[in-house]
Amino acid sequence: MLAPAYLWLTAAIFLPLSAMLFFSFVTKPPIGLAEWHLTFGNYDEFFLHPLYPYLLGRSLLMSAVVTGLCAVIGYPCAFVLAKVIKGRAREALFLLIILPFWSNGLVRVFSWAIVLRGNGVIAYILKSVLPFEVPFDVMFSVPAIVIGLVHAYLPYVVLSSYLALQAIDDSLIEAARSLGAPARTILWRLVLPLSLPGLVAGAILTFVPVTGSFMEPRILGGRNGTFYGTVIEDQFTAVYNWPLGAALSFILLAVVLGILGLAAPLLRRAQ
Amino acid sequence: MVLGLTGMQTHAAEIRVLNWKGYGTDEQFAIDAFAKKTGNTVVHDYFTSEQEMLTKLRTNPGAYDVVLVNSAFSKQARDEGLIDRIDTKDMPNVADLSPNMAKNPDIAPGGVFYGVPWVWGVTSLGVNKDSVNPLPDSIAVLWDPKYKGKVGLRDDGTEAIQICALATGQNINDVRDLDAVKAKLKSLMSQIKTLWSSENDWNQFFAAGDFTVSTYWSGGAGRSISKGLPLAYIVPKEGAVGWLDTLSIPTASKNKDAARAFINWMIDPAFYVPWAAKGSPVSANAKAAAALPDTNFNRVTLGDPAVVARVQFVQPLSEDTKKKYLEIWQEAKTAQ
Amino acid sequence: MSLLRTLAIAGRVYVGLILLFLYVPILVMATMSFNQSEYYQLPVHFTLDWYRALAKDSEIVDAAALSLGLAIATTVLASTIGTAAAIALFRYDFPGKSVLQALLFPPIAIPWLIIGISMLIFCFWVGLGRGTPAVLLGHVALALPYVIVVVGARLRTFDATLEDAARSLGANTWQVTRHVTLPWIASGIVAGGLFAFAVSFDQFVVSYFLARPGDATLPVVIYTAIRKGFTPEINAISTIIIVISMTIMLLASRYFKFGGER
Repeated sequence: MLAPAYLWLTAAIFLPLSAMLFFSFVTKPPIGLAEWHLTFGNYDEFFLHPLYPYLLGRSLLMSAVVTGLCAVIGYPCAFVLAKVIKGRAREALFLLIILPFWSNGLVRVFSWAIVLRGNGVIAYILKSVLPFEVPFDVMFSVPAIVIGLVHAYLPYVVLSSYLALQAIDDSLIEAARSLGAPARTILWRLVLPLSLPGLVAGAILTFVPVTGSFMEPRILGGRNGTFYGTVIEDQFTAVYNWPLGAALSFILLAVVLGILGLAAPLLRRAQ
Repeated sequence: MVLGLTGMQTHAAEIRVLNWKGYGTDEQFAIDAFAKKTGNTVVHDYFTSEQEMLTKLRTNPGAYDVVLVNSAFSKQARDEGLIDRIDTKDMPNVADLSPNMAKNPDIAPGGVFYGVPWVWGVTSLGVNKDSVNPLPDSIAVLWDPKYKGKVGLRDDGTEAIQICALATGQNINDVRDLDAVKAKLKSLMSQIKTLWSSENDWNQFFAAGDFTVSTYWSGGAGRSISKGLPLAYIVPKEGAVGWLDTLSIPTASKNKDAARAFINWMIDPAFYVPWAAKGSPVSANAKAAAALPDTNFNRVTLGDPAVVARVQFVQPLSEDTKKKYLEIWQEAKTAQ
Repeated sequence: MSLLRTLAIAGRVYVGLILLFLYVPILVMATMSFNQSEYYQLPVHFTLDWYRALAKDSEIVDAAALSLGLAIATTVLASTIGTAAAIALFRYDFPGKSVLQALLFPPIAIPWLIIGISMLIFCFWVGLGRGTPAVLLGHVALALPYVIVVVGARLRTFDATLEDAARSLGANTWQVTRHVTLPWIASGIVAGGLFAFAVSFDQFVVSYFLARPGDATLPVVIYTAIRKGFTPEINAISTIIIVISMTIMLLASRYFKFGGER
């Protein structure tokens, strides 16, 4: 049962990625007529230039903020959806939350630009409604990037939490209430632990890709939009330095796996 | 319109062109006219950066028949064996090319064409003529504190360094005083509102008033002006960054005859003049450029030889230099 | 009014606000598709010009159709083999299991640009040509981790003893899967499928490098158009797609109950 999925992944991703891993240890991409030798130089670059660790730290921090916001905003939303709203409305809402997912990412980001900039939608509404001048221009800043990223990844957290919350048997909650447990206890000691796998899955699906993101930072961040992901992208689109790009990516992967590995015992305890 | 010798075998071929999207070769009228004359159809693939163009060439031998190669990348493509020499004897329009471009050693070493010069333009100053009065004549306006927070710059390390080189009076292809450039770059970063990387970005930011002074491509400027934006395009006294785009034929192409016919059509005045009416860079074909009406943007901005003399054309950079420039650029962007 | 009731109403308002937030760009995109200004300037002047231009632009429409076909194929494939893998990971314990679980991360951690380029190199070395099969290979591979993680999360709320009970009553593995496990995780599978669709439909890099020249998908058309000018036609087609999807989804929720009443 495992075989088809992992075979597919191997052929499509792991084998190509191992080619990339190999690339990260060469001086020049071994394509065509290039001369190349093996080296640790690309990995050394990461430690030699404070720029790269700094940007990695910056990306990790931003990712933590985005994930935290998604969790804090998304989990209650999922809770209401799973426990408070009943019937047909619930399914319709569930689907409505997924729908923005299907719009093109680039179009979405540009739409946010239109909303957030000076002379944009929010500024325009403020100007028409308020009697006094309120300058509003959030574009080209880290908050703008965070807004764009939270918007893009919130559905992951909401849906994942929803699936887990909805699995909790209502009769369990009823039982607890009839035994006299106050609402706060029910939430904290019953609902949250039982639905944690969902919340964690959603958080992981958010944290991991956001760390390496480059589209939102570039477009919404403007001059403040340099992050680890944009630097990696540059190695492929601005210069022909695939080995460095590869090395930086695998360092990213290692760090992310490391963080998840550290957090694993915590998560296991919660289950 | 002459498209080849009568002795040439023309069984209908499908040629594949690799270019920027919306950059002349995919104009519907041009493709239709070409098909009518030669029976060859044209299919397009696009790239979104010069590095990606090279990547596609390296990993897809035989997939393309015509490729747009910026003159600064021509030597690299040639050295890697990606593009082939072009036999121009059945391409009559080649005789009308501007001599300095046809003899450019980067693209035609020893008189052998590896890239046919197609169009050229500059990256120079674009200012909002409604907010900037009088119009500046110096590149130092980018550093003018009056426009702090209202300046736009392209998100390209090499270009940023070239602009700073111009501002410090240096040769953009041979920057001796890198420290002066770095200092200029640092002070420029605090002036800018945002970085742009496409014509679409630029138009939106300019129209929204995000910047009033910016660097911009001449071809794009022509288009933006014709669409009604209040743009004044200036080549300052320090000069501008010039670039030349050429059309090349990949070595592994299987349709070289048809490819040559297409390239010849691309430098033909009958193609160029209608295209230029919509907004385009300057044709490398002197006759085609001369056929433009006097009001055409290219005529007005770049028709004066004194202006053109101030333009410094980009030459190939070594990979190491490019990497160094990228590092400087990333540091400048982060250190704010 | 009891505290619980107030909270319940507050909860509904909260969900409403979040929906509003999620739809801000969609509404902007839809509005701009009817706006005359090519540079998205306000105030809005109504026009249908962009939709007319769209009707004449076969490139975008063809690309949208191709993207749709690919996305459906990806969803079907990824959901099936992803669910199988998730169930296997859940049911069985074996040495190396955590390695397999860790292996799900590279596709989502490593920027898709790297994965796209490495697939390109690999196809080049192996001699596998560019084209729709290669693109599909990539799309499914990128969607798989999402399906596995989401279905897996749902499985973790599943009581494995139910499976044991069924088996002790004489059911074989397939029957257990079909009648006990699958119904429980049905909503997880659907959610995973929806994620897979989103991943494929919005996937740019793999399509950019691996598609045959002339066979562009919708994201590729959009990203390459960005360089020279991103006309509101793109907003028009995006709006059309959203409207169609919304209709289908609302119809589906009327007739299919997944997630169920519990």
